[in-house]
Amino acid sequence: MTEIAVQVDHVSKSFRLYHERNQSLKSAIMRGRTSVHEDFWALDDVTFDVPTGSTFGLIGSNGSGKSTLLKCLAKIYFPNKGEITPFGRIAAMLEVGSGFHTELSGRENIFLNGSILGMTKKEVTSKFDEIVEFSGVEQFIDQPVKNYSSGMYVRLGFAIAINVDPDILVVDEVLAVGDAEFQEKCLQKFRDFRTAGKTVILVSHDMGSISTMCDQAAWLRNGQLVVAGPADSTIKAYTDSFSTGSGDPATSGDTEG
Amino acid sequence: MRYLKEVFSARELLANLTLREIRGKYKRTIFGQLWSLANPLALMLIYTFVFAFIFRVRPDKGDPSGLDVFALWLLCGLLPWTFFANVVNMGLASLVTNSGLIQKVYFTRIVLPLSMVASAAYNWIFEMGVLIIALIIVGAWVLPWIPLVILIMLLLAIFAAGVALMLSIANVYFRDTQYFLTIILQLWMYLTPIIYPSSLVVAQSARVGGLFGTSITVSDIYHLNPMQHFVEVFRNLLYDNRFPDLGEWLVCTGWAVGSIVIGTIVFRRNERNLAETL
Ligand SMILES: Nc1ncnc2c1ncn2[C@@H]1O[C@H](COP(=O)(O)OP(=O)(O)O)[C@@H](O)[C@H]1O
Ligand SMILES: [Mg+2]
Repeated sequence: MTEIAVQVDHVSKSFRLYHERNQSLKSAIMRGRTSVHEDFWALDDVTFDVPTGSTFGLIGSNGSGKSTLLKCLAKIYFPNKGEITPFGRIAAMLEVGSGFHTELSGRENIFLNGSILGMTKKEVTSKFDEIVEFSGVEQFIDQPVKNYSSGMYVRLGFAIAINVDPDILVVDEVLAVGDAEFQEKCLQKFRDFRTAGKTVILVSHDMGSISTMCDQAAWLRNGQLVVAGPADSTIKAYTDSFSTGSGDPATSGDTEG
Repeated sequence: MRYLKEVFSARELLANLTLREIRGKYKRTIFGQLWSLANPLALMLIYTFVFAFIFRVRPDKGDPSGLDVFALWLLCGLLPWTFFANVVNMGLASLVTNSGLIQKVYFTRIVLPLSMVASAAYNWIFEMGVLIIALIIVGAWVLPWIPLVILIMLLLAIFAAGVALMLSIANVYFRDTQYFLTIILQLWMYLTPIIYPSSLVVAQSARVGGLFGTSITVSDIYHLNPMQHFVEVFRNLLYDNRFPDLGEWLVCTGWAVGSIVIGTIVFRRNERNLAETL
């Protein structure tokens, strides 16, 4: 029964922290190298599985590596060590509406954004009405998107991404925008996803929504996995760590800066 | 080979990004696409005035076409050049200007510079169409040469795409590249027989003879410039209406293939690191 949707296998990812970053030739030539740097491990040997059909929450303080992990999953970053293997089609919403061209109309942008997200023209055409309906911007669909409010922008972007019809939907903190009605619509969509046996992975700082929506969760702290498992116990461990002061707030202080 | 497949499967995205570029460009202008003709026309007027009227540059008559119109002779070299310069400029900036997209969405990165090539090509085809009509009006026998014109246009586009791929990566690491490029393109244009015929260089080179006691002449060095060969082929086909030397075709093909192969390799090597380097 517990098939795996995403396998995170000893994943480590480091970034170069530049003490003196100079993207210019002068500095490269003067020093004979491009920069002085040290490696910073944003993810350190993280291993867990995301079961198929689960709604999986990723929690942890700012800078703990959640977005980095999602970007590795979305093939935007590549881990230095280990492997992260999705089983099925992924749609990642790391930022909705990136790739919108502000001078073009909503309609044109649906086709553009759809193809950036990997949909064929046929797919977009067949889902066009659904996308417009979900976004609730029918009236403005032929207006340039620069005239959209930021909420409309997000709604349209979200409506496109959710209609990619992925097996695994990855969402990073993008739902905070948008009004309550739209958030409720999104939650409903996530529930539909789950009943269709699909997997949702989401990052949120709202423990309330994580605990109502997720059945599984993983807690990251300074790039390391603290615990992964049933949502309730993971969230409890996470929130308990504040009150007992066992490490997390103290150590996250220097990463948040 | 797998990479080619990947790029091929992203053709719809490539088409959409190209359309974004083309549609977005002249949105809310009154003259729209006509603007793409404005720049070459302005250059044509000023160069014709300065070089044909003041400096009295007299290129040979078209052989066998018999044409003797400086402005058209100029455009046969100028339009391919401005296309090349546009591709290289836009392609170079393509990754940096789309850094937001690269950091948030996965897709085959190479479509970004390639969409710049395609949108510049779209304008260029339009310009070349107008030029060909003008040539026909003044009595050049261009029509039979059009298939070969399309071939050389393709080769130039491939050559320019390769250069753009290399430079787009270079610009991610060193933002100096864009400033270098502006200077280099300026020098490069004057080193290409666009506003003067290359016969002047050959004549001058024969007068000077071998450089520094060697048998290498100015003209030998001059011919290392790939754009010189491209412009020569364009002029032969469009202005002279004759078949260019087979040697010229080979040189152009060589440059195009070399450039696209190296460009693709450089791009592939670096594309994984783009998101974090930008
Ligand atoms: N491109 C990058 N270059 C350097 N450091 C980065 C980069 N992306 C993320 N980081 C660092 O990695 C750590 C984890 O970041 P992130 O995954 O965004 O955290 P979260 O999403 O959990 O708040 C942070 O300390 C951040 O500064
Ligand atoms: Mg984050």
